[in-house]
Amino acid sequence: MMRLIALAIIVGTTAVVSSAGADVARGGPGTALAIGFALIAASLTGELFERLRLPRISGYLMFGVACGPYASAILTPAMARELQVINGLAIALIAFIAGLEINFVRLRPQLRAMLTMGAVLVVLMWLSLTLLFFVTWPWLPVAPELTGPARFALAGLLATVTVSFSPTVSIAVITESRARGPLTELVLALVVLADLMLILLFTLSMETVRFALGSSQAGHGLLSGLAWEIFGSFAFGSVVGAFFALYLRYVGREITVMLLAVSVVLSQVGAALAFEPLLAALGAGLVVENIAPPEGDALRVAVERGALPVLVLFFAAAGANLHLGALASVGLLALVVAAVRLVLIRLSAQAGARLAGLHGEVPALAWMGLVSQAGVTLGLAILILAEFPEWGGRLYALIVAMIALHEMVGPILFRAALVRAGEVGRMDHPQPGEHLAVAAGPATS
Amino acid sequence: MSAREEWREIGGRDVLDAALPPHGRTLPAWLLPLRTRAALGLAPVIAPAVLFVPIGAALGPAALNVLTPVALSYLDTVVAIALAALGVFVGLALDLRSARERGLFAAAALEAAVTVTLVSGAFWYLLSAWQMPLGLPVGLTGLALGLCASASSAGIPDGGSATHLVATRIADLDDVLPIVVGGIAVVMLGASEPMPVWQATGWLFRTLLIGIAVGTAGWLLFERAHSRAERNVFIAGILALIGGAAGFLGLSPLVAGLMAGLLWSWLPGHADRVVREDLERVQHPLIVVLLIVAGASCVFSREAIWLCAPLVLFRLAAKLAGGWLATRVQPVLTAGELGTHLIAPGLLGIALALHLQQVVRTTGMAAVLTAVVLATLAGEALALVLRPTEEPPS
Repeated sequence: MMRLIALAIIVGTTAVVSSAGADVARGGPGTALAIGFALIAASLTGELFERLRLPRISGYLMFGVACGPYASAILTPAMARELQVINGLAIALIAFIAGLEINFVRLRPQLRAMLTMGAVLVVLMWLSLTLLFFVTWPWLPVAPELTGPARFALAGLLATVTVSFSPTVSIAVITESRARGPLTELVLALVVLADLMLILLFTLSMETVRFALGSSQAGHGLLSGLAWEIFGSFAFGSVVGAFFALYLRYVGREITVMLLAVSVVLSQVGAALAFEPLLAALGAGLVVENIAPPEGDALRVAVERGALPVLVLFFAAAGANLHLGALASVGLLALVVAAVRLVLIRLSAQAGARLAGLHGEVPALAWMGLVSQAGVTLGLAILILAEFPEWGGRLYALIVAMIALHEMVGPILFRAALVRAGEVGRMDHPQPGEHLAVAAGPATS
Repeated sequence: MSAREEWREIGGRDVLDAALPPHGRTLPAWLLPLRTRAALGLAPVIAPAVLFVPIGAALGPAALNVLTPVALSYLDTVVAIALAALGVFVGLALDLRSARERGLFAAAALEAAVTVTLVSGAFWYLLSAWQMPLGLPVGLTGLALGLCASASSAGIPDGGSATHLVATRIADLDDVLPIVVGGIAVVMLGASEPMPVWQATGWLFRTLLIGIAVGTAGWLLFERAHSRAERNVFIAGILALIGGAAGFLGLSPLVAGLMAGLLWSWLPGHADRVVREDLERVQHPLIVVLLIVAGASCVFSREAIWLCAPLVLFRLAAKLAGGWLATRVQPVLTAGELGTHLIAPGLLGIALALHLQQVVRTTGMAAVLTAVVLATLAGEALALVLRPTEEPPS
């Protein structure tokens, strides 16, 4: 009851202040107002969702959707945009935490199996979707007039974007659920690996489309661009991570400020140099964890505990900026594609697990952690739209509608999987030997 | 510098520092003396402005341009939250339930009032005589400089001296008056047309209302949080709301924060203790960002340099006079002692000037901010020389 009264006061104050100052442009304080409102109101919504046995993250998203400019508009379009200021920092911090989770010594026994499963999953999904889109192309509202190689190239490109996962959402669900265990590690490895493969696939698909459509940009710096984005990002992140590890080891002071600075460097400087912030931050966390394990472990625990405000803001902003209009215009088609994707994820994950020799409940549940789509997918869609505006807009609407669906369903499914695997809350109560619990070996069933 | 003093920086020890396992490695011998390490940023410093403001100035648009104007505009969000946090801390420190505390508050208010009046009056005369092209009302410019000059920081109560102990408390309490009067000055300076004082005072009450409304919401939430992480979210959210709501309407986040802090102290429960404890987690980075932004926002113009020297001089004279008068109200101290303890300006003056500069983005206000920043650095240096160091133990 008291929480409801507090929520009412906060909603009332925000509504009065934002309407009273609506005619004045006040960037910084306006962002602070949006952040304060989102932090508290989204957090309370997340709690409500938890009582309904749903992930808190879905609550944050729903708060954003309900208060955002496409619904009740308590958060004005400007405030919703300003909330996204935190995005770069949040992605870097979330990926940094993920990097801190990856300890090669712990993962070595199952690394090959994870790589095999990830590769099979992505390849199978991509081939199936490419074939499906090629066959059904005339009914897809993208560029139905295309035929032959051009149609195949575009089907491949659409398949690449449809396959993509969201490492950010997966990691956020893990962090928010305080989950740890074999399923957590398997899903983490799969989404990171898939992200790498998809950058590669996307670059190749774009190049194929350029050739097929006779674009003037075809063939310009394909390999160098790929190398820069993948290896450059990792190298950049590794260098930053190495310096941070040395700082932790030899100085060990003012760590919050340094951590924030590292996140800003990874997200802002990295993006300015055309690096992938997610990969760079992942590389940095990985280096810290593997160069200075005691400091890395302590840092991970401390940062994970303090990550909640970042998660709340990140997902509230995502919800507020979710284009419900796209869902209304191509929602039915998006629903069909999403359903096909869901089936393909499940089948491909099963096939991948079998080929990798993984068995038991954990690999069987892994597909539920791979449904989410968010920033990476949107980023790919924006790149397509920028280069091919004539049909990119229609493809963009379809992808945004799919993201809206996956962003709402994905966290719920993953959280349910973590609950079934008994891994929720184990970050606070780790059990001995749990990191090696995925059974690797010949399938027995 | 005592072992306790090592960690008595604004914001206290970084909470993440404590989370790391201790390491046996030592730095080279020449890095070991604390002052050297502090100068290099490897250890906390008593006067963080001395370290972080020059870093900000070096990174700012006037020098390396790493912090570009666009980046600074993004950091305005953090500054609004940092101002609210400072206000909350002052409000939490304002406990007037005992007669002794009320006496100390009276002495602090008197000392601050004397400083504001003397510095404002001197600058009103000086600026009128110089006809300096600041493009701001002379009276309000003088008031702004007086308000920024009145804040002080007496370091830490090290337990060795009764004078220092009282001076520390007075330095904590003398921030209240400049914050409240600053709440009126912000409205008057930010108004597009000249605004009478009574009207600006009306806006001050609206600022207090924001503090009361958001503070009440915080009071209802803090002790009902299910976990420490959730409590941190609530506290961060309430701070952002205080800073954002006040700043969005062109009002003072410091005043709104002060009101919320006062409310948490007065209302039943442990909201004050909870907030003080948890603010330590975010306060340190906030203060660092605030000082770096202040340094980066400095414009070293001729006007700023001309304003700086008299500001240092007027402030020193006013603090000594204010301290002398305050000893009439608080006879624990001997005449003349208090003023020398209050020479170090701390960071509230910089925070006030930065807020004014965010409300009134003109070259004149940039000159005022730069003068305050330079005078703060000079004040810290003066305090090293003039502050009594050896006193009889209490």
